[in-house]
Amino acid sequence: MSGGYRQQPGGSGQTTRKDGKRVAGKQSFPPPGSGGSRPHMKPRDLDFIPESVGGKEEQPAGSHIHDRARTGTTVGKEIPLVDSNAKVTGQAWYGDDVRLPNEIIGKILRSPHHYARIKSIDTSRVEALPGVLAVATGEDSPHRFGVLPVTKDEHAMAVEKVRHVGDLVACVAAVDEATALEALNLFEIEWEVLEPVFDPKKGLEDADEPIHWRGKYHLSKTNVQKRVFQEFGDRSLVDKPHAESHGKWSMAGVHHGFTEPHAVVAHWGPNGRLQLYTPQQVPHYTHRALSTVLDVPMHQINVIRTFVGGGFGGKSDPFPHEMCAAILARKAGRPVRITFDREEVYWINRGRHPSHIEVKMTADEEARISGFDIDALIDGGGFASFGHVTSYYNGVLATAPYELGSFHYTGARVWTNKPASGAMRGHGAVNTRCAVEVGLDEMAETMQVDPIDLRLANLLPPHSRTISGFRITSNGMREALEKVREGSNWDEKFRQMPLGKGIGIGCGFFISGSGLPIHWDPNRFPHATVHIQVDMDGGVTVHTGAADIGQGSTTAVAQVVSEVLALPIEMIHVRSHESDTSPVDLGSYSSRVTFMNANAAIRAALEIREQLLNAAWDILGYHPDNLVLNDRRIYYKHDPAIGVSYLKALHKAQEDKGSLIASGAYRSPPMGGVHKGAAAGLAPAYSFSAYVAEVDVDVETGMIRCTDVWAAHDCGKALNPMAVKGQIIGSCHMGLGQVLSEKMVYGRTGHLQNANLLDYKIPSVHEMPHVEPIIIESCDPEGPFGAKEAGEGPLLPILPAVVNAVYDAIGIRLRDLPLTPDVVFKGIEKTLKNSDVDDPLDLPSPRLTHSSLQPTLVARAQEHKLRDKARQRTEDTSPYVNGVLFGFDPTIPLEDQVEGWRTATEPDPEQLAELGLAGRAWLKKEQREMGGEN
Amino acid sequence: MSCCFSNSGIPYVDMRAPLRRLWRQNMVGSEHIEMIPSPKKKVWSAEVNGTPVEVLVPSNAVLLDVLRDKVGTLGVKRGCDLGTCGCCTVMVDGNPRLSCLCLAGQVEGSIITTVEGLADGAHLAPIQSCFAEHGGSQCGFCTPGFLISAQALLNENDSPTDKEIACAIEGNLCRCTGYQQIIDSIKGAAAIHRGEVEAAAPASDPHPDPHPEGPEEPNMPPGHAR
Repeated sequence: MSGGYRQQPGGSGQTTRKDGKRVAGKQSFPPPGSGGSRPHMKPRDLDFIPESVGGKEEQPAGSHIHDRARTGTTVGKEIPLVDSNAKVTGQAWYGDDVRLPNEIIGKILRSPHHYARIKSIDTSRVEALPGVLAVATGEDSPHRFGVLPVTKDEHAMAVEKVRHVGDLVACVAAVDEATALEALNLFEIEWEVLEPVFDPKKGLEDADEPIHWRGKYHLSKTNVQKRVFQEFGDRSLVDKPHAESHGKWSMAGVHHGFTEPHAVVAHWGPNGRLQLYTPQQVPHYTHRALSTVLDVPMHQINVIRTFVGGGFGGKSDPFPHEMCAAILARKAGRPVRITFDREEVYWINRGRHPSHIEVKMTADEEARISGFDIDALIDGGGFASFGHVTSYYNGVLATAPYELGSFHYTGARVWTNKPASGAMRGHGAVNTRCAVEVGLDEMAETMQVDPIDLRLANLLPPHSRTISGFRITSNGMREALEKVREGSNWDEKFRQMPLGKGIGIGCGFFISGSGLPIHWDPNRFPHATVHIQVDMDGGVTVHTGAADIGQGSTTAVAQVVSEVLALPIEMIHVRSHESDTSPVDLGSYSSRVTFMNANAAIRAALEIREQLLNAAWDILGYHPDNLVLNDRRIYYKHDPAIGVSYLKALHKAQEDKGSLIASGAYRSPPMGGVHKGAAAGLAPAYSFSAYVAEVDVDVETGMIRCTDVWAAHDCGKALNPMAVKGQIIGSCHMGLGQVLSEKMVYGRTGHLQNANLLDYKIPSVHEMPHVEPIIIESCDPEGPFGAKEAGEGPLLPILPAVVNAVYDAIGIRLRDLPLTPDVVFKGIEKTLKNSDVDDPLDLPSPRLTHSSLQPTLVARAQEHKLRDKARQRTEDTSPYVNGVLFGFDPTIPLEDQVEGWRTATEPDPEQLAELGLAGRAWLKKEQREMGGEN
Repeated sequence: MSCCFSNSGIPYVDMRAPLRRLWRQNMVGSEHIEMIPSPKKKVWSAEVNGTPVEVLVPSNAVLLDVLRDKVGTLGVKRGCDLGTCGCCTVMVDGNPRLSCLCLAGQVEGSIITTVEGLADGAHLAPIQSCFAEHGGSQCGFCTPGFLISAQALLNENDSPTDKEIACAIEGNLCRCTGYQQIIDSIKGAAAIHRGEVEAAAPASDPHPDPHPEGPEEPNMPPGHAR
């Protein structure tokens, strides 16, 4: 049937044969658009096709470059995660579920000391124990590794020194767990105990023996791992503030609390290649680190990502126990499985940094925010991990969504003898965001304006640049604020509820994929690559390195491929577990997967689509521009009866080359400034969110209960609304834990006291408020079908929303997180002591009478709303940089038009005296400047 | 296993190994004391997911270990070993129970249902398909425990209130979903149990082709004889 076939619709005569089959050309047709001759084919779902290409889906944010690839198949629909059936039947295989034949069990000997030098390790008695098959110590792992190439400071097992209780000292593999545990008792180790440091403030001072030594770059003899100074804008604006807020915060460290403990299986195959099974968010980093540590080229290692039982950032470092398993397996010649118990999970940590944060902010008489002044001292624990980045994120991710007159940030991350802190959902941005949002609330209070209006009148518009040079594209902040205001009935509740009941607002801003791949230049090598292969059977195999940790990245990739090729999602098979088959990918962190991998997948799918359409062109004689893809059929746009089945077109396309193969890649566009640290916080898109939380506070006991949350998150475009809502509600859960109950408790002796899920209080179902997830779709111009991240950003606003709601309820600003009953109670007692009230039930509730500024703000917000709408829909494409609100011209560099406008990454000598707590790190000199080690 | 590695990597034969195996030694502090002989092994039998099993286990074995390591029901997850996370919940004679806090000997001879036993062959139980459909499962590690707790609730009560659902799953921790979609899933399954809603045909059912082809369309690669 070359040249296609044409079947007349309707007509007389029998349409079915006696055996029930159809007679060609004689069947009745479904309505146009449904695809014509195939009775079982799903009609084209016009509800999910944008209006710009003939469908019914509304596009308030304008059209998108991927619109022409929309087929209405899966995007925007609530579909179950593609791997959910494996999970509900217990067939999903997590780290500890990998059982290889002949496996033996590995156990790790951990340090009992906070800080000590290992003088000698005698393993002879361990080796003599029957059943022990391999023993390894630091001697077997001389090479250092680390997640960031600039801070490789870890060993598989301690070499020379242990740096915290629980640090790895040695490991042993034995025939069974009991023997391995017994063997751990037989190590004979001579220690020289050193003076530990626990308080990050002490870490800023010179020590006899710093925890790590960075040679000529070491700061004097301190334990400072990284210091940051950033100053942008016109500092003279903050001199005469109309309103100001000043708060000193202390935030406890929190842990990810994923339910699956770390586990790893290592096996050296018969050809001497290493197979490593591990629940990793970032298998590629583990791959690299294994190669370094084991001295084996990367192509001789196959890292297999198992299902990941929750990550949240806690499984993104290459871990020493992964190296241990590989070393033991190499020694023993048998597969080694190491599974952590819950306590070990806390020893390896990588949770959120315990932080001391100081925020000063000022506003001028027009209620414009003239300055943010942030100082963050973060406690990194024993290793660097992602700390280099965290040190920047604590500041730079506070530069939006508001327009600022000036921005000043000093940060320092110090080593202490505690388990290492690292990346956790909302990496680095969560704590400062909380401090900043609460500060805004306080400024609104002093200016007697509504905090939502204060925010609405100070937002950066879409397609603008922040003060630190970030490129903001789509921006749904305003809509998010409006939606939660409306949903929560804010105007009738705020500052009007009785004592003990409160409502509060918080906003969030987060990166959607880190713009800089840390191991390579983004201009030379892509962030993400996806391969698609379509063979004769018509099934589509997608190879990607995207690590699904439960957030649904596999589903997102499958969905976009399914959407572009108009195939049911059952026909898309994603293979993402093995590094042997998946292209190099940076894995699941910095909320990059949907944005980058789905973009790469769309590119690859478009290539396949083009080949299919060209084949259909050959068959039908109509140009691809006039062809429509629908469920397993390609047809002529103006007459659906003229068409060819997907398989026919596919086989035609395969005639000369066999299976169709396409590779798509994503590379972020060149962005950002040139100052030191400009790359930190750069992202191809940013997500925005606004939450309103309502709380009940028992003023007699200090118990807080969050009852309702209205959570609006701008995720660009919800590829799968069910998954996005799940992320929003889940983020609320995790953020509520941090603000109300979760805390890693280090006792007076520096010992971690609650390394279990009984004492580390993760909210149970009873503590969860009702969350109303509200999805805002701002349609990002570069996102896949307009999508941005939804995994981390939604966590940020819940903390300040709750803290602000507590103030609304009892009129007390609390700045020690978590707000456990004892903290709240102490706050109430202190307030009672300082006032003439005796009974906490007589505490005055804060009330608000609007000042004359309020109408000004409302008018400005209204004006900005129109501005934002025009910019969002790119009807207005004029440049906009932070500073226009202050009357500056966006077309001239700010340095040239504002006297005193500066971009500085080091403090001036005269500034040194007035720097905050973390800023004191700048008083120290590097070794090379002191004539130290070269 | 009397062949061990010395530091030099040369295996040597430990003549005392058989003796040591009888009298395992252990350290308490710096004292090297003789340990009590390891627990005796005994045959443990129960009905797991409808199949009678008999395995040889130490007399002090924990049910979780027996199920994972001996019976092979790896769907039972180990999260904390302390009874705090609920991932290891299994149904023992119809009641949800934390298998990490339960000695195998305590439930000898009972009927045990793990997550693998919920489905009827390839046909998912309503609670399973609802967890998939409503997003009750994200990373999926806590899911087996939740499914068992929820199924135990639904067996007793097919129209639970929100409060009753919350009380039934209060022993299970989930870090991904914030529980809300789990509660939705359980409500959805309850509606199916009550017969108000038809269970959706689950994708796990063996199905020839979700989108059957017409007679003129190829559904096989070229060269295939029909």
